[in-house]
Order: sequence, then C-alpha cells, then structure tokens
Amino acid sequence: MAQRKGSDPQVLESVYSVIALVLVLFACVELCDGATVVDVYRLIQYDISGVPFGSRLAGLNHHAGSLHFPPGSDLSRTVLIIPLRELNISFVKEYISQRQPLGGLLFLLPQTFSFGNEDDKGSNRQDHGHYQMKNVIAELEQLLIHSNIPYPVYFAFEDDDIEAVLADIKKNDATGQPATATTGGYKLVISVPEPRKIVSPTITNIQGWLPGLKADGDNHLPTIAIVASYDTFGAAPALSVGSDSNGSGVVALLEIARLFSLLYSNPKTRAKYNILFGLTSGGPYNYNGTHKWLRSFDQRLRESIDYAICLNSIGSWDNDLWIHVSKPPENAYVKQIFEGFSNVAVELGLKVGLKHKKINISNPRVAWEHEQFSRLRVTAATLSELSVAPELLESTGGLVDSRHFVNETAIMRSVKLVSESLARHIYGYQGKNIEIFADNSSLAVNPFYIRSWLEFLSRTPRVTPFLSKNDPFVMALKKELEEHTDEVSVQHEVLDGMFTFYDSSRAKLNVYQVASVTFDLLLLLVLGSYLIVLFSFLVITTRGLDDLISLFRRPPSRKVKTA
Amino acid sequence: MTVFHFFNCAILTFGPHAVYYSATPLSEYDTLGTSVKAALVYLGTALVKLVCLATFLKVSETDSFDPYQELLKALIGFIDVAGLYFALTQLTHRNISQNHKFQAVGLGWAFADSVLHRLAPLWVGARGLEFTWDYILQGLEANANLVLSISLAALGSLMWLRKNKPKTLIPIIYACAGVVATMPSITSYLRRGLGWHFPKVVGFELFTSLVMAFISWQLFSACQSQRSS
Repeated sequence: MAQRKGSDPQVLESVYSVIALVLVLFACVELCDGATVVDVYRLIQYDISGVPFGSRLAGLNHHAGSLHFPPGSDLSRTVLIIPLRELNISFVKEYISQRQPLGGLLFLLPQTFSFGNEDDKGSNRQDHGHYQMKNVIAELEQLLIHSNIPYPVYFAFEDDDIEAVLADIKKNDATGQPATATTGGYKLVISVPEPRKIVSPTITNIQGWLPGLKADGDNHLPTIAIVASYDTFGAAPALSVGSDSNGSGVVALLEIARLFSLLYSNPKTRAKYNILFGLTSGGPYNYNGTHKWLRSFDQRLRESIDYAICLNSIGSWDNDLWIHVSKPPENAYVKQIFEGFSNVAVELGLKVGLKHKKINISNPRVAWEHEQFSRLRVTAATLSELSVAPELLESTGGLVDSRHFVNETAIMRSVKLVSESLARHIYGYQGKNIEIFADNSSLAVNPFYIRSWLEFLSRTPRVTPFLSKNDPFVMALKKELEEHTDEVSVQHEVLDGMFTFYDSSRAKLNVYQVASVTFDLLLLLVLGSYLIVLFSFLVITTRGLDDLISLFRRPPSRKVKTA
Repeated sequence: MTVFHFFNCAILTFGPHAVYYSATPLSEYDTLGTSVKAALVYLGTALVKLVCLATFLKVSETDSFDPYQELLKALIGFIDVAGLYFALTQLTHRNISQNHKFQAVGLGWAFADSVLHRLAPLWVGARGLEFTWDYILQGLEANANLVLSISLAALGSLMWLRKNKPKTLIPIIYACAGVVATMPSITSYLRRGLGWHFPKVVGFELFTSLVMAFISWQLFSACQSQRSS
C-alpha cells in the first residue's frame, strides 16, 4: 500500500493531462454532422389582421414517419414524410382540419417543380400525370395557406438520399414498429431560431417612361400605361417563383418596352402618346403596390392616362385570352380597347373574350390589378388567361407555378397581341390591317429575350416581404427597364398593415440515423458481461501463471466481488 | 442517449485496459509507473514517427494502395519496435519481474495508442445523433490492439531480456515479432489494397491478435519451462 501511495502524483499528473486534452477537444469540436443534409423550405407563416395562418413553428427535432404508420399510433412526436406523388389529400385535410397533433410535416416535391431542374425545359410536354399532380398540389397549397398549423411544415425536393431514408422508414413502419424514442430509426433535425416578425415589409414599384413626340404648344400628351405586378405569394416563400403568375406578365412587359423603345428611339416613329411602364409589387395582397403607386401620381398625370393595360398570367393558354374590365362593355373606352384587341386577335388567330366584373367599393378585396385603376376612375383592363377572378392568395405564383408549365409561344403571342393593338391605337391605324411587329423584321418579338427573362424569373422567388429594398432582383428589373425607357424611378412603400409575415423561409434539414435507447442498454449489458468474462479469464490465467496456488484459491473470491 | 452511446463505446475502447490492469498481478505489484512511462515513450515514438512520415511520405490524393509508399510506411512503423525496445530495456524500472514488466509496458503502450488514436474520434463522433457501427468496431479494434501490443512486448522481452532461450525457438520468436510488428501495414493493405470493409478488417484483426497472443504465450511458457527445468 505504501508503494501505491508513492505513485499517486504520477497518476494525478496523467489524469490531469487527459482532462486537459478532453477540454481542448471539447472546445474545438462542434456537433453538427448529419448523415444527410437536405435543403428544406418552410411553409409560409403570416397573420391577416392578427389571425394566424400557416405553419407556426420552425424548429424541428423528431423521429421520421411515413404514411404507412400503424393506425392509432401517436404521431405527436413524429414528422410525417409525404411524397406528393402519393399524396392522399383527404388524409392531410382531415389531419389539419381536426387539428390532430403531429410532430411536423415534410412534403417531398417532385423534381419537376424544382427551378434548378434543367430537363424538359421548353419542350412543353403535355404530361397528363404532371397536370393531375399540379391540381392536387394546388389544392394542398390552398389548404395549407388558409389553415393555422401549430407544427412545422416543410417542403423539400425528392432526391436519392431522402428517397433512401424514406424507403427505410416505410420498411420500418410496415413491420409495425413506429419510430419513437425507444425503437430507433431516423431523426429529423432542423435547428433554426424562432421565426420573427418581418418589421414593416417594403413594396417596391418600378416605373419607366417612353415620352411621346410633343407637337408645338401641346404640353399634355395622353398616356397609355402597361402594368404588371411582379411579386408572388405561395406556400413556400423560397419556392414561389411564379413563372406564369406573374412572371409571364413581367416578361411580356419588358419585351413590349423593348419593342416600343426601338420605335421611340427614332423621332419619325415616335407617336404622340407617352407610354408608361409600371412593374408593381404587392400583387397578391389586393394589389397594394399598385394602389400606392397610383396614389403617388398627381391628379393631372392620372387624368392624362388614356387607359392602362394590366398583364396578368399570360403564359399558359392555348387559344383563349380574356380582357377583364370593371366598366360595362357598352362604355366607349372599353369598347375601343376591346375592338382594338379583338381585331388583332382575329389576325393572329386567337380568341379574346371580354369579361365584366363590377367593383364593390366597400369590399376590400381587389381581384384584378385594373380594379385599382378603376377605383380612381382611370380606364383599365387586365389581359389574362384566367376567365374568373381569383380569390385572395390564389393564382399568385405558388408551388406549382413553375417553368415547366409555362409556354413561351403563349407569351410571345400575347406580346404581339398587346403591342400590335397598342401600336395601331397610338399611330391611328385602327381597323387597318398593318403588321408593325412582323416576324423576321427588325421589330419582331425576340424569343431569346423572352426565354432568358422567363428563365431568370422562374428561378427567382419573389415574395415581397422577403425581398429587401435593394434586392438584386429588383435592381435587375430596374436596370432592364432603364435599358429601354427613360426616367426610371423606384418607389419604396410600406405594405399595408393587414398582413404580417414571419421570417425563416428556408433551412437545412439534418437526417440522422439514430440507435434506440434499448439498443444502447443492450450494448451496455453485452459490454459489461464481456468485461466480467475477460476479468475472470485473466484472473484465472495470469495468476495461475504467477502463482500456482492462487489459481485455485483466489478467483472465486474475485468473481464474487465483480459480480 | 447519445452520451450513453459515447459511454458504451468508451467502455469498449478503454475498459479492457483497466480490467487487464486490475485482474492481473500488475495491480498487486503496483506497476502503474511502468505503464505510464511506457505510455510516455509511446508518445515520444509517435512524435518521431509523425516527423518521419511527414518527411518521407508523399501525400496521396487518392485512397489507393501504393506498394512503395506502404513499404516506407511499414519501415517507419518499425520505429514502434525501437520505442518498445527502449521502453523494455533502457528504462529503469522498479524491481519488477520480467513477467510483469512486459505486461505493464504493453498495457501502457496500448493504452496510449488508444487514447491518442481513438479518443478524439470517439468524442467527436459517438456523441453525435447519427448512429453508426464504426465506433463499436473501433472499440473492438482497440481490444485487438491491446492483445497485439502485449504480444509484441512479450516477444520483445523474450528477444532482448531473456538470455538463455532454446536455440530452436529463436527464429520463431523473431518471425512472430516481425509479423506482429507489421500488423498495421497488413491491415492497411487489406483495407486499401483489397478493399475490405471495416467490419471484416476488425474481424481479421481480432482473429490474428488472438492467434498471435496464443503463439507468443506458448513461446513464453516454453522459454519459462526451459529455464525452470
């Protein structure tokens, strides 16, 4: 024993060094290495006049489950992974409407909807399956947007990693063992801070002018406005690229601006009309940006507007376009616009219909952009492929509105229709069969320009509250408009108070394969018995080697001690 | 739960060393000092080895098996043997028998190896949420390494400390020592040259370590009986 005491300082020293080593390691090691890391996009979280909607949580740390869970199992600590290919909408509806407890939801979108997906672009394959899925997803999106969901909801794109995980989970579920804390499986972890309110989201309107040729003494030229709202709203703000609504309108507006800037650059072909181009924001929120934009005009300017053409969702129609107006069709101005359009449409082989929808001033809902003009007594019409007015937050460029479903030729035909009828109006060629923007001429609609802008818009999420004041996208739009028009100005306004948004729209999902507690307990048991066996074995063998008598005398007493 | 797993793996990795120390007569004769000294020698040897590896070895971008580089690595691996020789012969130990001396040295050697090579990955990896078998296998590997280290120390003590050994056994002793000393290179070859997976490699290591331990035990007892007779 005296000898043992003597060696204590040495022991302590070695222990200290080990402790120091451990501390150093602890300091430099961070614990975040998941087997699989997936980009996920959170369901939007927002309030309308204080009423909460969308997913109210962001952080996630639960086991994964599939739709094949055993009936009656408790899912309050399970994240259901639902691939949209096998989505059972009634199940989701039931779960959300009955407010059943869930740990979370993870929807897997097909790669088709990914804006990074380069396949089948421009081929416009009329794939029946895709269109069917589009409808289902659109229904799901409306459901999610309009409900208050007390758990995190995320979207991700299908890929091999997550498919493999899902296959494993399904196998697990099929055997009747749902993944909970005691049986192991996969754990999904998203560590993000609590979502915070976005303080006073800004809306940014961009306008540009093509000034007409002033005759002597005449200071007030009439103005024609071409307007398109560029922002989107969807279930996942980081995925709301809105190729059709209203990317197509923005593309068409830019192309029209380009065509008329060619005409207006030459004084001989400059008409006696000003053309005003407006890219407005806040479209999904009752065209709040358009409202602010028009309010900022002075009375004289507003009165000088002959009429305004709003472009909305003109990228995926076959043969029918609609002109929506708020004034009765008998109105002279409306008649004039409609006739101008329908004449050109006949020549182009399209059909244009007129839809009249009265505005109800007391109703805050503004379904079409031109209604904001009409409310200020400015004649306006919306050109759209939609035949009926969309509800609030419907057709605003959500999940399904991807590049895949947009047809470039449709946009080109719309551009031609608008610019041709506009040109006939401003140059006074009404009713005459003159093709100004003929194909193969220098004024032809440029398909490459349209395609490149459509591609760009189709990969840029544009939900206004998540766009900063000087967002690169807004700057790009401004710069492009500056290329074609003069006096480009940017107007920043605050989005009206009805809507409140919360941040954290994208995150990283870590998928961990975890062992269960029972496994660890079992392992501990096995290890313990292994060490005991080893101990007994060593005592029997070595002490025997050392001293023959101790081999027979000591092991029993030792064994009792360890057991 | 993950700390639990870390705990389990740590038990598997370091437990056998402690058990070995407390179960064998090493604890009774208080040979901890020897073990600690051996561990310090191991640290020094590892440093020298590191310097040599850094000096003579090219950094291979690929994970392929390059025979020349591996040969060099094996040669550098023999620095281990030199370190062990130093630990066994040059260190002045308290008055302990050769029997205990080699065990204490082997134990310290293996423990230092485990701490140096396995503690850090264990700390980093086993506490994460992700479950893999790797750390359990690594613990088993540590066990195999303990057995191999003690075998090597036993053979070393036979070679360098035992004067009167039977002449017929000497080549066998040297051959066995050679095999045990080149074990790291052999496993490296299996893993990278033949593309064996980790579980298979660990199984092989466990198996060979037991075989080598059995052989060296037989050799040791043969020498022992020869001396006692």
